[in-house]
Amino acid sequence: MRASLFITCYNDTLFPETGRAVVTLLERLGVEVEFHPQQTCCGQMHANTGFRGEAFSLAKRLICMYGEAEAVVIPSSSCVAMIRDQYAGLVEELGDGALGRELETLLPRVYELSEFLVDRLGVEDVGAYFPHRVTYHASCHGLRALNLGNGPLRLLAKVRGLELAPLKNLDRCCGFGGTFAIKNGEVSSAMLTAKLQDVLATGSEYCTALDNSCLLHLGGALHRQFAGMKTIHMAEILASTQDAVAGHPGDGDLLPGAPVGSWR
Amino acid sequence: MAVSAAADRPILDPARARPFPEAALPVLRDPQLRKNVAHAIDVIQGKRARLVAEKADWQALRASASRIKDVALQNLGAYLEEFEARCTAAGGVVHWAADASEARRIILDVLRAEKATEVIKIKTMTSAEIELNPFLEAAGIRAHETDLAEIILQLGEGEPSHIVVPALHVNRSQVREIFARRMGIEDLPDDPEALTAAARRVLRAKFLSVPTAISGANFLIAETGSVVVVESEGNGRMCLTLPRTLITLAGIEKVLPRFRDLEVMLQVLARSATGERMNPYTSLWTGVTAGDGPERFHVVLLDNGRSGILARERERQTLRCIRCAACMNACPVYRQTGGHAYGSVYPGPIGAILTPQLQGLRHAQSLPYASSLCGACYEVCPVKINIPEVLIDLRAQVTDQERQRARRFFDPLYLGLRVAHLVFARAWLFHAAQCLGRVGLRPFTRKDGWIHALPGVGAKWTETRDLRGLPQQTFHAWWAERAKGAK
Amino acid sequence: MNGGASSREQILERIQRATPGAAASAAALAEDYGALPRAYVRAGRLDADACVELMVHRLREYDAEVVECAAEELPGTIAAQLAASGRRSFVAPPGVPAEWLAAGFDWRIDHGLTAAEIEAAEGVVTAAFCGVADSGTIVLHHSASEGRRVLTLLPDWHLCILRASQVVETLPEYFGRAAGNQGSGDEKAGTRDLGTEGLGNCGHETGRLPRLVTWISGPSATADIEMTRIKGVHGPRFLHVIVVKDRKLGTQGPATQGLSVQ
Repeated sequence: MRASLFITCYNDTLFPETGRAVVTLLERLGVEVEFHPQQTCCGQMHANTGFRGEAFSLAKRLICMYGEAEAVVIPSSSCVAMIRDQYAGLVEELGDGALGRELETLLPRVYELSEFLVDRLGVEDVGAYFPHRVTYHASCHGLRALNLGNGPLRLLAKVRGLELAPLKNLDRCCGFGGTFAIKNGEVSSAMLTAKLQDVLATGSEYCTALDNSCLLHLGGALHRQFAGMKTIHMAEILASTQDAVAGHPGDGDLLPGAPVGSWR
Repeated sequence: MAVSAAADRPILDPARARPFPEAALPVLRDPQLRKNVAHAIDVIQGKRARLVAEKADWQALRASASRIKDVALQNLGAYLEEFEARCTAAGGVVHWAADASEARRIILDVLRAEKATEVIKIKTMTSAEIELNPFLEAAGIRAHETDLAEIILQLGEGEPSHIVVPALHVNRSQVREIFARRMGIEDLPDDPEALTAAARRVLRAKFLSVPTAISGANFLIAETGSVVVVESEGNGRMCLTLPRTLITLAGIEKVLPRFRDLEVMLQVLARSATGERMNPYTSLWTGVTAGDGPERFHVVLLDNGRSGILARERERQTLRCIRCAACMNACPVYRQTGGHAYGSVYPGPIGAILTPQLQGLRHAQSLPYASSLCGACYEVCPVKINIPEVLIDLRAQVTDQERQRARRFFDPLYLGLRVAHLVFARAWLFHAAQCLGRVGLRPFTRKDGWIHALPGVGAKWTETRDLRGLPQQTFHAWWAERAKGAK
Repeated sequence: MNGGASSREQILERIQRATPGAAASAAALAEDYGALPRAYVRAGRLDADACVELMVHRLREYDAEVVECAAEELPGTIAAQLAASGRRSFVAPPGVPAEWLAAGFDWRIDHGLTAAEIEAAEGVVTAAFCGVADSGTIVLHHSASEGRRVLTLLPDWHLCILRASQVVETLPEYFGRAAGNQGSGDEKAGTRDLGTEGLGNCGHETGRLPRLVTWISGPSATADIEMTRIKGVHGPRFLHVIVVKDRKLGTQGPATQGLSVQ
């Protein structure tokens, strides 16, 4: 089994540790990981802001890039939703029949990370160890666009040492929404405050998700408020084992023994 | 509290309203108002969730409801003509209004012919859309709202903030104050029962004496020429049966092909709107019936931008809307802002797509962006309107329009997105930009690796949240290094 | 109306331009319509007894007073309900059987009463067309025994007589009955032929569908003030229902032997 990792632009730039965790995890499960060096962005930001032409050109780039891949694994539910829900419309409007056919062959090969594990590889116990209290933020795209269902929770349930704390109002948005957080900064902040109340009420050490964009938002607020709770992509939890517990940059003080990433 | 203070009165005219982010500010700073809104929608949401969960065929009902509306819209011309023929045969008079001003004029003409000086009204969002009440007022005809929430707003000179419970932002003590002042009742207690009883007493006299009524319509039935009104209080039944003359104002998209289509619509509407299996009263009538109800019946079929929406393939689904408000109850944005920020009589997610399309994008440019695209609205919509899809499409239209303008060229967001595209189109440029970003952000990055304050557009983020600094090594650089090491 | 004709043509023309995919003929339209998915539950699953039980349960959830009785007990049960209400003056539609009009009360029969006269009554007694158990809905087609619409609206107290054979489980089952497919006797009076000649441009075969319908699900209510449910804003505040156990389907209960109001 070979999987081509589409890391996404913001993970590449801001969350390299998530990508490293995906590689560790998949290789541990016997998957051969590929990485296309020309990859950049799926075009979601442009599409959702109304820049259809730009979004289409990035979509086309991605479709052509993964023509040969056996499976494309993406550790970001909103980017998977972009490809599944919006590419067809963009290609229909601005592309041609050939590209449309290529997209058709690509879509069944595109997987969000948890989908790849649960649906494609058929594993729930990935042999992970993460001895912490964790709450799971479903993220809107994972919940509604991808219908991930309880797959992610089943993965977490099998992590040794992990204590899962249920999150109230699981289906409510954290207020990120890409440029929404900028264009409607005040409203976004109000939504974030409401979400944080629920997240903090779980008394967890970590808030995890399958989308670092939500975690960027939540983590930024948690840090601002000195809340003590950390955010962590689920890939990093699943990659952790008894020998190598994942940690975040700057987490050294919180997690003795955690390997410090390539931070600074 | 902004209920009656004229200075703070929200503007629900898209042509004059402030952009959404600005209009939302007064509400975000009003904890009482936000508490009122959150309480109301929590109650409805909870009831809705329970009743939808007990319906094993909910998804099948949604599928049928959305397809029934699609067939009706696809063949709107034929169904409207059939409705007109049947309604006319049953003694009704059918009028067609291309826009709001024509609808207002038609209604005024009918009222003048009736020598009406006052008129009783059932809550209708469509009449709010065409701003009927102030128009009639100016023409010397007093319009009395009869729905409890509408009375609260009319007497308190407030504006609706929700399409099903328009006064959900007003609490009991505010209602008490309004009723005491405007009905001249002293020592009125502030329990909802007493307040409701006060409204009942005042209105009963109106119902029995005013000979002309105006209603909206939840559905028009092409097959029979019938009109359906869905309500809770009974004020609708009063207005539909007691007056001599009834005028119904209905958007052209309200038509359903057949009587039996109600078996789907009535099952989804109340559950979605108020979290009830069925609303207390639903009335259907067909033209005029000797000895029962009004002697004269007029229907005004209103276009007012709807045929324009019909023409656009992706946006057409907007017209499926049955005005249940489930989308605003589910919306995390509406939950924070309430309805007034949307600057239109149609708030919430449906308003964010309906208002710009009805009124023209130039008036409501900020509305398609008033969403985090979380999809909660689509999930609950009983007629499966993919609101996020339409929002994105409208954003594209706004962007296309705005890009023509020179001032937008240097707008940081527009400029940023154009540059971002150039960068994303070439991997080497993307990698260079990452380096540049790391260097550029270094002065703002603190020792702990976090950014606490950014200038310009970025300040919108750092006002309330920190931002992770850029790590030293990107993922692709790590991958390249690892690959080299493996060789 | 001035300009009405031109607006009509203008709107229809805009619609025509906007819907190039519209069915080209009545037959094609009927086919489009016929192809609609209808995978929702149509027929109920409960037996007759359970169905009535659910109806009663739902009505009680709406704070309606419900009593059940056998067909022969009906007049006595009505009299008892009227007496227990503490009210004296009642109105009734002209189609209700004489034995419903219990002695010892002031009765006014609606042969064209004014609104003020109806308003003055303390209560009203009527039959119904159908009961829908799933939602606890009472459906009135306003026949001679169900009364004009205003009759069940102005009095503060409504006693409705519902036969067990009139109770269906699902809303689609009601619509089946309303279309006259499996009527239970009474609907004829409230159903008028809407006429089909020269109007059927959409390929519909209009049968005998009701001209006036009121679906009542519990007493008048509002939750407009802080979502607190308040009973009786404008319609009757008190809904009482007598469910008559007339057992065998298709047998005519007393409610059907009405005079015609029109």
